[in-house]
Amino acid sequence: MAVESPPAISIRGITKRFLSTLALDHVDLTIGRGEIHALVGENGAGKSTLIKTLAGLYQPDEGEIRIDGKPVQPWAEAVPVSFVHQDLGLVDDLSIGENVALVAGFPRTYGLISWKRVWTQTQDIYLAMGVDAPDPRALVGTLTAASKAVLGIVRALSQETSIVVLDEPTASLPGPDAQHLFDILKRLRASGKSILYVSHRLNELFGLVDKVTVFRDGRHVRSSSIETLTPDAIVRDMLGHDLELHHHSGAGVQHEATLLDVSDLCTGSQGPLSFSVAAGEIVGLVGLRGAGHEMIGRAIFGAQRQSSGFVRLGGEEIAPELSIADRIAKGIALLSGDRLQESAIGGMTLRENLFPNVARTAGALLHPIRLDRETNRVMGVLDRFDVRPRHESALIDWLSGGNQQKVFVGRWLATGARLYIMEEPTAGVDIGAKGMIHRILRDIATAGSAVLVVSSDFEEVASLCDRALVITRGAITAELFGASLTLDGLITRSALGAEPERLVQ
Amino acid sequence: MSNSVLGKGASPPAPASSGLKSQRLSNWIAVYGLLIVFLLVMIVFGVLRPSSFLSVTNINSILVSQSVTAMLALAEMIPLATKQFDLSVGYHLGMAQVLIIGLQVQQGFGWPETAALILVLSLAAGFVNGALVTWFKIDSFIATMGTGTMLYGFSNWYSNGEQIVGMSLPRSFTGLSMIYHGLPLPALYVSLIAIILWCVTERLPIGRNLYVIGANVRAAELTGINVSGHVMGAFIASGFISGLAGIVLGSLLQTGTPSVGPEYLLPAFAATLLGATSIRPGRVNVIGTLISVLVLAFSFSGVQQLGAPFYIQYFFNGGILIVAVGLSVYAARRRQRAATSVNSR
Repeated sequence: MAVESPPAISIRGITKRFLSTLALDHVDLTIGRGEIHALVGENGAGKSTLIKTLAGLYQPDEGEIRIDGKPVQPWAEAVPVSFVHQDLGLVDDLSIGENVALVAGFPRTYGLISWKRVWTQTQDIYLAMGVDAPDPRALVGTLTAASKAVLGIVRALSQETSIVVLDEPTASLPGPDAQHLFDILKRLRASGKSILYVSHRLNELFGLVDKVTVFRDGRHVRSSSIETLTPDAIVRDMLGHDLELHHHSGAGVQHEATLLDVSDLCTGSQGPLSFSVAAGEIVGLVGLRGAGHEMIGRAIFGAQRQSSGFVRLGGEEIAPELSIADRIAKGIALLSGDRLQESAIGGMTLRENLFPNVARTAGALLHPIRLDRETNRVMGVLDRFDVRPRHESALIDWLSGGNQQKVFVGRWLATGARLYIMEEPTAGVDIGAKGMIHRILRDIATAGSAVLVVSSDFEEVASLCDRALVITRGAITAELFGASLTLDGLITRSALGAEPERLVQ
Repeated sequence: MSNSVLGKGASPPAPASSGLKSQRLSNWIAVYGLLIVFLLVMIVFGVLRPSSFLSVTNINSILVSQSVTAMLALAEMIPLATKQFDLSVGYHLGMAQVLIIGLQVQQGFGWPETAALILVLSLAAGFVNGALVTWFKIDSFIATMGTGTMLYGFSNWYSNGEQIVGMSLPRSFTGLSMIYHGLPLPALYVSLIAIILWCVTERLPIGRNLYVIGANVRAAELTGINVSGHVMGAFIASGFISGLAGIVLGSLLQTGTPSVGPEYLLPAFAATLLGATSIRPGRVNVIGTLISVLVLAFSFSGVQQLGAPFYIQYFFNGGILIVAVGLSVYAARRRQRAATSVNSR
């Protein structure tokens, strides 16, 4: 062959350092024309850094990027690459047409926006992709998650670039909707576009992508054609060693009594789900970031609507219409994963942050607060959890994230709950506080309560929990415990989203 | 945790206690700042106008005339604790004042039943405000501006927009606002309301709940606090106290004029917000509110005795409003900075 046309994009030896960390270490990536190329790797493997480099947000320390054979510098010039990020960047309060126009530009007549052409422009772009155009005047906020994802892609393509980068576009999509998205991507490939597809979900790659590139610890591990691969082989490349999946025949540790019993629970995009947690047990509810599994804990706590199913606590049914206050009274606690927005009561003291709702923990609404008794309880918590500063009148804002989190754990302990739902209990917390919080959670369980850890932090779940339920696309797809509850096991199970390995009653 | 932020005293204390110390000093100044300002005002004008400024007559007349402002400021304080505005208190005050005079003079009612009727109306008006904010989720600023304007319309309809002169009012009614054996009765009412409100806000779970709602409504919901119930209650209490203040104002002026009440909104607001910079910095509070009413009244009286014209009060009230909000925004930003510097490590 005399002249071979150059690949759509070719990346050679890109290196990027952040202080002492090598985020990308001489990585290569080549995407041909009309090819869907998957980029996979664990968190921290360097996928985002590479994408941000392509987007021109980072300037690499070494290496070269070529598009259609020509060297380009995305950080200094405009390049024909469009991006669809996981959060899509859509404005809910604007119409579909306006959202498209934010990227494609507002067509004008005599300098004024021509709304007629704004609407037709949107329809044209949808039609060009072979997708039925929705009413361009509809507000984006009224669309389903799937339609939003489609809109995000449609909008990116309005820029008429030959290369499209999709960063986990299906993270929050239920299965059938994701399939619809894949059809669009295949059509794009047929029209000659090149697509870089970043995903954590390995199963969906088969039947969709042409090639797979695996990154690990900032290095390029392998690029190969999908036909030569199996999901296990990809996981092996991601982890750097063989899978250690111990299959257990026997049951896990025997716990006395079932405390939380959830059957056929449906909430938001999750469900139906059935599982149970015993008194004295710490169970992890794990899923990839953005999977929406936190809705399950929130539904049990009453902070999120439960559309169907049953929740029982200690044999007593928790009716869906029960308020949060009623549920707290019945012994359910929820530590929010959003510490700043949902836990911290800014500008108020540690005392008030420990006991924000006194009627819940001591006395009634109209009973004077026994300040001396309360002071003793506050100081007791501060001492027990080694909170610094050790002053009941210090403002919560002065504390480090770890110390704040200890206070919020203390807040829930004071309610004397039977079931503790902990969302990302140690996110953004220093090592010392992390160990302390883990010890507290273990103490809670030992004292006879149940702990449900809702998390995307696999390492934490592997080291803290007795048992883990892996949630993929709103369903429990694996139950890991004992020796099978390892970091590798969790990563594999949540990435593969395989058929339920063992159904939980 | 960056050291540049630590140096400024508003930041989270480092493992060492020096940060905490400077934090506590700046806290002490914030807590007692307004009280110090009040003492300075008394000393400065007392020295400049020794015979008139510190006279019993002057002090008593200020206490009497400011009692209405103080009651209205306390009324305003309750919804503000939950970060909800009640802009209707001034119009509400006006309606109560017009009715307490008008129903006696024009309809020949006795004052106790008139007062009872007004207080029932006040509870109802507060309930409407609360319902609009909690059930219909209308922004309190808009909702109370709307209800307030309608209350104003009601006062004007009833009085035909004119002053109702309170002729031959019973002594028992006019006596409500007199100085009894050297004790200005309106100041007594303010003290009673203040004591009750202090107990509620500082010692009862309800009070803490109100402040928690104001500081982080999402956190309040997630700790099981009945947010709408508390906000509703705050608006009803605010309406009730506004009605009381209107009755006292009627007794004081012995006339009913629809346009008088609304004039009190701004001073009351200014006092409440200025009060939030002191005693319990960052939140509206009873003692701070009372001290700011006194600071505003005495310093205005002082500059007046130095020869300043009457209209200076508008510059005073407007300026204080901006300064008070400016100070609290500044304090909140410092807290925010401190918080982010910790959490973005």
